[in-house]
Order: sequence, then structure tokens, then C-alpha cells
Amino acid sequence: MENSPEFQQLITQEREKAMVNEMIAKLTTVCWDKCITGTPGSKFSSSESSCLTNCAQRYMDMSLIIMKRFQNMQ
Amino acid sequence: MDSFSSPSAGSSPKLSTDDLMGQLKVQLAQAYAEEFLETVRGKCFEKCITKPGSSLSGSESSCISRCVDRYIEATGIIGRALFNAQR
Repeated sequence: MENSPEFQQLITQEREKAMVNEMIAKLTTVCWDKCITGTPGSKFSSSESSCLTNCAQRYMDMSLIIMKRFQNMQ
Repeated sequence: MDSFSSPSAGSSPKLSTDDLMGQLKVQLAQAYAEEFLETVRGKCFEKCITKPGSSLSGSESSCISRCVDRYIEATGIIGRALFNAQR
């Protein structure tokens, strides 16, 4: 049963979900440090929330550049 | 909670795919929650408890509450930013 294609696919899906969650968690710790510089308030300022959004997106842009550069060196 | 124990004296019945996937998802959710809590503890201690005293002050306590709320909110913002970027 564990070797069935159906099971393997379910496992693959869960692995992908786990990887996405891990990426979000990791990015949140990094971007929190970069963007939330003072004491946490009762809501984010607009500059804090746009910083968080920008941070995540620029991190992904950077990831792509790094991958391409690395591939060019292979 | 040992879901692998067999009710009968014979060979143990194999768990169905549903049972296995159910257990897997529970384990994953628990692991994720523990990791999340550990992160929030670290970040909020850093932000809110700058000079540990002999007890938590009122401002430290309310800072911690706000910090937890903001960190959860930040996680949502990051999640949405990542999925809006995929066009």
C-alpha cells in the first residue's frame, strides 16, 4: 500500500506544502528583522507592511539571480 | 497515543492510506506549530524584554501580546506576497 502511486503522490503533495510553509516561515523571520525595527505596535504602519511585502518579493528575485549565476558557472 | 497498536492478537492490520495521511498531516502540523512558537518566543523576547527584571512589567506583557499578533500578521503578509508574485 505504501508503494502505491496514489500514496507516493499524496506524500509528494505534503512535502511540497511543507516546503512552502518552511519558505514562508524562514522569510518571515528574515523580513521581520529587516522591517520591524522598533517595538511592535497595535498595527503595522504602512511602511512596515510594504517593507514586508517588498522584502519577500526581492528575496525571490535575488533567489532567481543566484540560481542563474550558479548555473552559468556549471 | 499509539495508533499502530493492533486490536487483535493476529498480524497487525495495515493502516489505510487515509489513516497514514491523517497521521502525517497531524505530525506535520504539530511540528510546524512548535517551530512557529519557538520563533515567536525568540523574536518577541528580543523586542520586548530588553532588560530582564524580577518580574514582567505591564508594558512588557502588552508588548508581548502585540508582538505575537504582529508576527502572525507578518506571516500572512509574507505568504500573500509570495503567492501574488507568481503570475
